[in-house]
Amino acid sequence: MEGPIRRILVYVDGTEEAITAAQYAVCLSKTTGADLYGLYVINTRALNDLVKARIFLDSEEEEYHHDLESDAERYLKHVDKLSSRKGVSATLEKRSGTVHQEIKKYAEEIDADLLLIGELSHVRSRRDEFYHETERAMRLVHCSVLMVKDEERVWDLYDALPE
Amino acid sequence: MALVDLVKPEIIKVPLESKSKQAVIRELLQVLVDAGKLNDFDAAYDALLAREAKGSTGLEAGIAVPHAKTDTVSSLTLAIGIAPEGIDFRALDGNPSNLFFLMLAPPNQSGPHIEALSEIARITQSKTFCKMLLRAQSPEEVAELLTEED
Repeated sequence: MEGPIRRILVYVDGTEEAITAAQYAVCLSKTTGADLYGLYVINTRALNDLVKARIFLDSEEEEYHHDLESDAERYLKHVDKLSSRKGVSATLEKRSGTVHQEIKKYAEEIDADLLLIGELSHVRSRRDEFYHETERAMRLVHCSVLMVKDEERVWDLYDALPE
Repeated sequence: MALVDLVKPEIIKVPLESKSKQAVIRELLQVLVDAGKLNDFDAAYDALLAREAKGSTGLEAGIAVPHAKTDTVSSLTLAIGIAPEGIDFRALDGNPSNLFFLMLAPPNQSGPHIEALSEIARITQSKTFCKMLLRAQSPEEVAELLTEED
């Protein structure tokens, strides 16, 4: 594929917005022929912070880590279904660490041309700007970023895509 | 989910009236019942006490973060209480606790639960900010401080 978009990376964090982004990524991949990659990051940094702050016991860290592993499997499997239903092959990756850093690293590794993220909620506090992981990734990655909005329209586009 | 999405005056109690650990948990759960965010008071109470039995969530510097996973809520649920006089919550440093962030999360929402707890951990690192919260006179004032509305 020689167009402007050859490798699309969609970040999936389990939110409805991220699923919409994944649907749009499938649409883009299908129509442009770009390779599709999906990434889920297990936020082990936050888990470690909670243990350090003594909010979590060690046993809780293990329990929640296991929960997040299961979430990752579930959401990536869902992206796999969304793409295969439309005849698009997706490379799916699960990483652990600090979310924005892992997104940046993986985007570089696959030399992504475009990062797709779900719609971000309205920024209501300065903390959002400083600490929102997806927002930080958006600022850090080397490639262009597309924030996917309008769930209904994306759903229609996805539905209308030939299988 | 950002903490700011959970903070509303109706889930905040200032000042708390309770004098003991169990009583403050009950008082905060009642806030959630009154706000229409919790139906099964007893099950939530049991889940929180079960977590406390493993180790107190009373941290240092007057902060307490009682939390539990429970299917008594369908989404992440937060109650905030402020006790300027301090309540014995069996905190790690042995001092009374003043700022209470009680969080309940359904078992399938560990991700948002962790994010919200991390945010609480982060904001309570600022002693100045905690002092400002302690001086707040109303739920609205607490909500405003936490959401930093522009």
